[in-house]
Amino acid sequence: MIFSSIPFLFFFFPLFILLYFSLPFKYKNYILLLFSLIFYAWGEPIYILLMIFSSIVDFINGKNIEKYKDDNKKKKIYLIISIIINISLLGFFKYADFFIKVINNILNLDIPLLNLGLPIGISFFTFQTMSYSIDVYRGDVKAEKDFFTFMTYVCMFPQLIAGPIVRYETVSSELHKRDINFKKFADGFTRFLRGLFKKVLIANNIGLLFTLITSSEVNDISIMTGVLAIVSYAFQIYFDFSGYSDMAIGMGNMCGFTFLENFNYPYISKSITEFWRRWHISLSSWFKDYVYIPLGGSRVNILKNIRNILIVWILTGFWHGASWNFIFWGLYYGILLLLEKFVLKKYIDKLPDFVKHIYTIILVFIGWMIFAFDDSKYLFEFIKALTSNKFVDSAFLYYFKNYFLILVIATLFSLPVYPKVKEKVNNSIFTSLLSISIYVILFIVTLSYLVSDTYNPFLYFRF
Amino acid sequence: MKLSINKIITLLILFIISIFSIVLFFKEKKEFSPNENRYLKTKVEFSIERLLNKKFISDFENLLNDQFPLRDNFINIKTSVDKILGKEDQQGVYFSKNGYLIEKYNKPKNNDKLINKLNKFASEVNYVNFNLMLVPTSITINYNLLPKNAITYNQMDTIKYIYDNINFDTINLYDTFNEHKDDYQLFYKLDHHWTSYGAYYAYSEYCNHNNITPIKLGHFDIEEVSNSFYGTLYSKTGDYFKKPDSIHKFSYGNPELDVEYVYEKKITHSLYEEKYLNEKDKYSYFLDNNHPLIIITNNDIKNNNELIIIKDSYANTFVPFLVNHYKKIHIIDPRFYKMSIIEYIKENKSIRDGLFLYNVNTIDNDTGIFSIR
Repeated sequence: MIFSSIPFLFFFFPLFILLYFSLPFKYKNYILLLFSLIFYAWGEPIYILLMIFSSIVDFINGKNIEKYKDDNKKKKIYLIISIIINISLLGFFKYADFFIKVINNILNLDIPLLNLGLPIGISFFTFQTMSYSIDVYRGDVKAEKDFFTFMTYVCMFPQLIAGPIVRYETVSSELHKRDINFKKFADGFTRFLRGLFKKVLIANNIGLLFTLITSSEVNDISIMTGVLAIVSYAFQIYFDFSGYSDMAIGMGNMCGFTFLENFNYPYISKSITEFWRRWHISLSSWFKDYVYIPLGGSRVNILKNIRNILIVWILTGFWHGASWNFIFWGLYYGILLLLEKFVLKKYIDKLPDFVKHIYTIILVFIGWMIFAFDDSKYLFEFIKALTSNKFVDSAFLYYFKNYFLILVIATLFSLPVYPKVKEKVNNSIFTSLLSISIYVILFIVTLSYLVSDTYNPFLYFRF
Repeated sequence: MKLSINKIITLLILFIISIFSIVLFFKEKKEFSPNENRYLKTKVEFSIERLLNKKFISDFENLLNDQFPLRDNFINIKTSVDKILGKEDQQGVYFSKNGYLIEKYNKPKNNDKLINKLNKFASEVNYVNFNLMLVPTSITINYNLLPKNAITYNQMDTIKYIYDNINFDTINLYDTFNEHKDDYQLFYKLDHHWTSYGAYYAYSEYCNHNNITPIKLGHFDIEEVSNSFYGTLYSKTGDYFKKPDSIHKFSYGNPELDVEYVYEKKITHSLYEEKYLNEKDKYSYFLDNNHPLIIITNNDIKNNNELIIIKDSYANTFVPFLVNHYKKIHIIDPRFYKMSIIEYIKENKSIRDGLFLYNVNTIDNDTGIFSIR
């Protein structure tokens, strides 16, 4: 199920709120769990077994790791079991076909593909449960004693599908006791709405432009049209993803949870290093804490440090999808970060700020180009068009004119304009009324977009 | 309790959500959406099997989406917001000058397949004098009305390519349309079809090609049968501020006709079905929408000429002109007629003329023409 849909907003959500808030606290986790399972089963009922399996396995492993906290060997075994199971789940459901293709290619075999549907959110919940086992192993967190509480954590619907990756550590105390009040609810709800607006009004809208351009003949794309495609993709992925994080964090707040932030205006970064401190923070910090540092991080010799960085970034890329372009995309960032760390830093520091911004944005946008096209043939044709076609054509003028306002809006909201404005305005009756009406109007407009998505004139069947 | 802005917003929007949810679940279900021309989901069936194969959920989602209150109004809001944002098209339909909605034309993919199909077909009944008429649509004829820099592929390139490779007669409508487009409205503003005027000029071009003397425009009795036609493009864009089109009926004399809908086992004596004029789908006024096979006999005609038309819905407005010249016209719509047309022609030995009549905008995606045999 997705948040930005009529079934969620007008069926699942009101029902959930009604039950969650009318029942006493001791039932709240059960309601949350029940609705999370329904939420998950909505798209693919059978994979619910996977979540239950994952919950059971990691619950038992966590318990055992803690039980043997003084027996290094045994506790390590349980940790390894947990990691192997999680990686296997992920590997089997997400990467099996990729590896079969690679093997077929290298050995000239014809092993049939599995064509499994990707279980929703598997990349997120396997990472969450792994972090749980590792944290228990390290003694950073106590193992959860109650199975249903643990399962509530694993299945919790607000962040289930697209993150952020919430570590058990972050919510362990709130799972047992949390403050639920109207203020928190209202703050969470408005946050949820802002995320919804970002997703439906900006991401979907600008995504349309990307689809339009990339579905036309790639050889005819002018340079500026190509650039416009990349820009629209960059906006789409940011507003889509950060909008989703906003909705998840907001929904978490409404239920009384506090999740960590996942995005912090990444497009205002002044270096690639900074970009990755602002983009999908829960993922980069996960890789830092559970891969980079255990490998020795930067407290090793330079060669090992380079190796560690490359491993982390290839894995980060690969995490985004079972396709070569994601690996290259990760590698691309690995190399950029290495360059910044060992070579460029001292030069970049001396540059004026606006050059740093331009430098970062250009590199990030090139990154999105690699990210966006998982068909490498298309990617090469696209690059060819960008380097050899004519500079501007009437299609560009048409697209630009049609999407100009949306591009302006997207640019404004990629910058920290909203918090600045909020800080500046004083709470007069006028500004209050204004902001209330903006929310209501945007909600209605969002609804109109959601409804029109389901509007499919069936015009030609009898014509 | 202190009411912060966030709390007020939350209460207001939760209120909106609950009202809509309640109405959504308790109002009477709507059966049909005239704007979308389709039946809406009104109920869902539950079974374990349907739950597991995802049918239940997807039906349930469709039900909620289809039955959402004020659905048409929301579509309208969306289109208006898009217009404010500066969008000049909606799903490939351009908001054009003079109140026209004009459908975009995409580069075709199946030209060669089409050419081979038609050539092969015509060669199997080579004693029939075949014509191919590909109708350029509004986007070509009303090109100057499009928004600036609007993106489209050139229909005339397609037509030229196909005509150059077809082994039988082809009829070019561009010049006559271009000549008369300022005299009359050749295409509906809100629908993807041509008007009766457009069909008239095509008819007259067809006659010139086949040594028939066309009836002059002034000799027809032209009657406006509807002035409230909101066509398919209107529905598609959801731009509900547009002014409707008029539909005209061209009559010449009062011929005694038999219109036989063969597979429906129905015979009428008129080319028009009045009942549609009171419905949304008014183009169906012409020849009762589409049928696999219609045979029209004009009992007043002295000759024994028979024509077969293999066509899309553009022909429905065109045929009324030709009944004045043929004893019998066989109209086949290959989207619905799945048997061998060649056999049909061989069985009806008097058929000497044949016409493929399609608009160029949709022929590339037509579900019938590529499987004719």
